[in-house]
Amino acid sequence: MATQQSTLAYTEAIQAKLTAVLDPVPVYALMNRNWATQPKFATWQLRNVHQPVYTGPVQSVKGIDRPTFQISLFAQNSLDVLNMSDTVLQQLHGFTGMYGSLYVTKTDVQWLYHSYDDKLGLHQIFLDVTIDIPT
Amino acid sequence: MALPAKVLPGFSAALYMQPTASPTALTTAALATYATVSALAISANQLSVEAIPAFGQDDAVASFSVAGQRQSDKIPTQAAPASMTVTSAWNPSDANLLLIRGDAYSGTVDRTFIISATDGTGTVYYAFNGRVGEFKIDAQPGAEAKAVFTIHPRGGQYGWSNTP
Repeated sequence: MATQQSTLAYTEAIQAKLTAVLDPVPVYALMNRNWATQPKFATWQLRNVHQPVYTGPVQSVKGIDRPTFQISLFAQNSLDVLNMSDTVLQQLHGFTGMYGSLYVTKTDVQWLYHSYDDKLGLHQIFLDVTIDIPT
Repeated sequence: MALPAKVLPGFSAALYMQPTASPTALTTAALATYATVSALAISANQLSVEAIPAFGQDDAVASFSVAGQRQSDKIPTQAAPASMTVTSAWNPSDANLLLIRGDAYSGTVDRTFIISATDGTGTVYYAFNGRVGEFKIDAQPGAEAKAVFTIHPRGGQYGWSNTP
């Protein structure tokens, strides 16, 4: 029988892994209140959490989970944000191992796009990261 | 009341197997006895299968044609039970999958399997004896690893029962 892991553990694991990968750049879930004063930072959000349901009345019979989290990288300097995205790609794409205390069997990174927000004065790069989590 | 009287979704079906490495398969009478079958259909004996494959019996006919007659005839003959190829999520330490693996390598272990379907009130059971004829691990990286095996039911060894 397979048991679905806690989604809270997913979020703790993502925060721990991103903090380790991007150190010393600060990492936040969803938003950064201090965006105006920090020259570089990253935010992330988790989505598409789903395990396929198998047949039968027993609830714990499920397949693996393959959620996606989006990383938004921000920097006042274009070179900084490009460096940060390269760090994420080099360290996470194809990675198998521990995210904090959670074992991830494979990490797939997709570099989505590069942008600039004139009002915020921040360069941005967005990446989708899909992780395979065993039950 | 006891026999489900509704059109059931496929998710209501589950597959169970008799435990232990050297089981004594149920007799044909026991396969149709609710108390015997329901005692085996417990969560510890459930196989974590993706879906229940088609079960029942295959078609088999003898065709007759006579020169000069416009219509021929098809007579049902000995129909083999339908073989069931089952896909299960592969947990290498799943006790039930280890029994299936052993059965497949042996090829001669007769074991009772049970398919249940419930509407929440009543449950119908289809119990049969079978041997496992295939065991493969499909570790394609796009999804969870699967254990795929085929159950070949023995001819005539089946029974239907339902909650009294």
